[in-house]
Amino acid sequence: MLRTLSKLILIVTLISIFLVPLCFLVLFSVSANWWWPELFPGKFGLEPWFRIFNQPQIKAALWTTLWIGFLVIMLNLILALPIAKALAHLDFKGKSIIDTVFMLPILIPTMGIAMGLHITMIKYGLADSWVGVVLIHLLPTLPYSIRILRTAFEDLGVKWEEQARSLGASGITLLRTLWLPLILPSIRAIIFLTFIISMSQYILTVIIGGGKVVTLALVYFPYFNSSNPGAIAVLSIIFALLPLLIMGLWELIIRILFPVKKLKS
Amino acid sequence: MFRIILSCLIFAMVLTGCSKGDTPKVSDNVFKQDWSQIEAAAEGTEVRMYMWGGDDNVNRYMDQWVAPRLKEQYGVTLVRTPMNAPEFMQKLMTEKKANSLKGTMDIVWINGENFKNVKANDLLSEPFVQILPNYNSFVDGNSNNIIFDFGTPVDGKEAPWGKVQFVYLYDSAKVKNPPANFTELAQWVKENPGKFTYPDPNDFTGNAFLRHLLYQQVGVETLIKEGYNPSLVSDKSKVMWSYLKDIKPYLWKKGQTYPQSLTQLDQMYSQGEVWINMGYNEARAEALIKQGVFPKTTKSFIMDPGSIGNTHFLAIPYNSPNVAGALVAINFLLSPDAQLAKMDPAGWGDNTVLDINKLPVEYKNKLDNLQRGASVLKAEDLANNLLPEFTPEYVNWIKETWLSEVGKTSN
Amino acid sequence: MKLVKPQTKAYSLILRYLLFLLMFIGYGVFELFSQSFEDAHDQALGSLGNYELLFSNQYFWDSLLTSINITFSSTIISIVLGVVLARLIYFYLHQSKWKYLIWIPMLIPHFVAGHLILLFFSQSGLISRAFYNLRWINHMSQFPGVVNDPWGIGIILTYIWKEVPFVVLMVLPAYYRQNKQYIDVVRTLGGSKWQVFKMVEWPALYPIVIETALILWAFVITAYEIPYLLGVTYPKMLSVLAYQWFYQGDWSSRPIAMALFSVLTVFILMITFGCFRLTQSGRFRSMRGR
Repeated sequence: MLRTLSKLILIVTLISIFLVPLCFLVLFSVSANWWWPELFPGKFGLEPWFRIFNQPQIKAALWTTLWIGFLVIMLNLILALPIAKALAHLDFKGKSIIDTVFMLPILIPTMGIAMGLHITMIKYGLADSWVGVVLIHLLPTLPYSIRILRTAFEDLGVKWEEQARSLGASGITLLRTLWLPLILPSIRAIIFLTFIISMSQYILTVIIGGGKVVTLALVYFPYFNSSNPGAIAVLSIIFALLPLLIMGLWELIIRILFPVKKLKS
Repeated sequence: MFRIILSCLIFAMVLTGCSKGDTPKVSDNVFKQDWSQIEAAAEGTEVRMYMWGGDDNVNRYMDQWVAPRLKEQYGVTLVRTPMNAPEFMQKLMTEKKANSLKGTMDIVWINGENFKNVKANDLLSEPFVQILPNYNSFVDGNSNNIIFDFGTPVDGKEAPWGKVQFVYLYDSAKVKNPPANFTELAQWVKENPGKFTYPDPNDFTGNAFLRHLLYQQVGVETLIKEGYNPSLVSDKSKVMWSYLKDIKPYLWKKGQTYPQSLTQLDQMYSQGEVWINMGYNEARAEALIKQGVFPKTTKSFIMDPGSIGNTHFLAIPYNSPNVAGALVAINFLLSPDAQLAKMDPAGWGDNTVLDINKLPVEYKNKLDNLQRGASVLKAEDLANNLLPEFTPEYVNWIKETWLSEVGKTSN
Repeated sequence: MKLVKPQTKAYSLILRYLLFLLMFIGYGVFELFSQSFEDAHDQALGSLGNYELLFSNQYFWDSLLTSINITFSSTIISIVLGVVLARLIYFYLHQSKWKYLIWIPMLIPHFVAGHLILLFFSQSGLISRAFYNLRWINHMSQFPGVVNDPWGIGIILTYIWKEVPFVVLMVLPAYYRQNKQYIDVVRTLGGSKWQVFKMVEWPALYPIVIETALILWAFVITAYEIPYLLGVTYPKMLSVLAYQWFYQGDWSSRPIAMALFSVLTVFILMITFGCFRLTQSGRFRSMRGR
């Protein structure tokens, strides 16, 4: 009884703190003439939505955001898997220093080093291109991915793999039957986090993409300086929906690749 | 796996790196060509325009009115890139530092301090306004508004695009008689505590509010003639700081903090936290009233000694990859049609830079008949009270002095 | 097939990633530091001029103090609430779909979160409206100033709302990983909930909590949008001050902004090192404990 009650209180708290503000965002996106001290807006309408979707850039920006997000996720996985595995299974002197160095990209103030980053990118001919933007998005994302996967690999332990190998399992079977099911939750977390971080990058995308790579953040950020709450609300909702879309796609792919039965076992 | 990715990346680097190196600097001779040659060179090209993107009405004017016509009439594709001026200036500066000869920006929208900066750092193309047919036909090239940008000589390095004037806004349902000068304002503020404030002088508008006060205390003639002379001003400006300290306890939140931007002041005005608002662009209230952001009863007023007006400009960066396209686009933006459409009160409502006396009769009539909206002051009232900007060095001086004299101190 | 030892491969992998980082971050930091020793026209000063200017600036010290107050409060409160929430979720909503609600703030960018706080807590915000309609206040100016307040309550609130889910994301796996048998052992020996937390959960959480706190704190002290939106005119937080100096009109304050960023970077590196030492000794302690 007490347990059910505590559970209920917890759920209600979660709803009021996390869900209710989001609902107000939706309300703001369809309202106008909402003056103090009225509790309800004076006018409802989809006008803010039309304003935003009438911008020719918005559709291209959506695709660019998804494309860059997809590449950043893929690169994160491809790079983080072996690095995290190596870090989890190797033990050497100064390893914890290396660990700390790998975290630095998310600790050092980006704005301070942005100019240096930009010069580097110009030198390599990667400025003003999506390749450069994808590369630079690795900085704020890869440390998290390595960190998350490393913990997963540490839990997994080396022994399982050795055992499976000694039983004659090939690399691919190993990957399918042992690795993936065990690190799948971590991969899901990485996809979620990486995409969110990538899509919210403004300064880095502006500097390295040079305005040629227009992601949603670029369309969105100038509205930060506008006094129209409806437009801000609409863009925020679109922003929040994108990662959900990515997660939906991921779940779909997983369901197709690994039917539910196998995952559960 | 890692190795394959890495080599792909290096390959991409080498590939893009090479193509960058051998781009010839074609832009040089464009400035010496005939206009017809420039138009021919621009056809089928893409022009990237970098501009602040926080106002829907401005964006819609560019995307829905300008872009399709430019495409249809000149075959030029206009790509608007929303970016704040400090950011694209930073980009330009870094490109210069890295010796990049082929950038991405063809047109930038700037004025005031920003222009002074890019000019001083040699980040702009050579002078171009004399090449533009519409500039030569319709712009008064001797007017101070056109040849000076915040007191900095333009030297043909930027073309005027629009003009705005500073006005105060008030909610006529709550304020019956708006103040006519700073003395009346102080009185009003004391009678209505908490209902007035001005943005932090780090903000463009907040700084302009204080520049009006400086004009009032030091005198219009002196400030314009003397140029930057802090020792002269610091003595006479003491009254100004004591005025601000005097009204401080009666401001919004008792003057303990100020809105950090005009946006915040707009939001506060929108909800009735304050009853008086302000801003550059004499017509900006109109669109916000229509969108239901400002109350319908919003009107505007000007206080003595007048209202500062300034011009905003278009410039071409030194490393523009498409100078011909940029010239054609800027020329188009200066055409009477484009300038009239820009004045549409339902849209942007920005004033024209063209000289009315130089326009053909049909445009003159259109301009005379244009209704800018009930919240906008009459053209002659605006013109009679127009004050020029003085040198931008004072912008920083005001920021710093205000902070130590007014902002930092508690009541 | 391959003669290279997997270990060697792993080492070279780590080495190459290290090189990648140095290529980008290393050069960026180098540029930053070298510019903090130059004047506004890229001429080397050959002295500590910018730093002298910075350290003799009263605004800098006032900002530093405010920043330390606000960043440490937001970090500590977020961590405590995050751990409590993770614990509650582990014990009560283990199987429930309701637990996904906590990811909502992660979907929303920081400045929108700041905007939401304004919508709710400003003088003309939703809460003030509710108070008025409940007749608790007669006018909006009677509503207590929670945003744009000298204590930074609005800023701290926003960060808590945004970062608690992040803390949960980092901490929750540790809960799932821990051995439930330990908890049962302590409980059967008559240990209270607090003792369970102290003896079983905390040793496992400790390194993660320190790491998460470091990430959060470094983020909060360098982030610009929220203190800009919800802060006060004076004193501004360090990041806002740096941003202002960096972009200010004629770029003449830029070298001081670079000096400020350098100081901030060194400060962060020092804290990072401190955390690193803490977790190192922590690891030994927890090992000895077992």
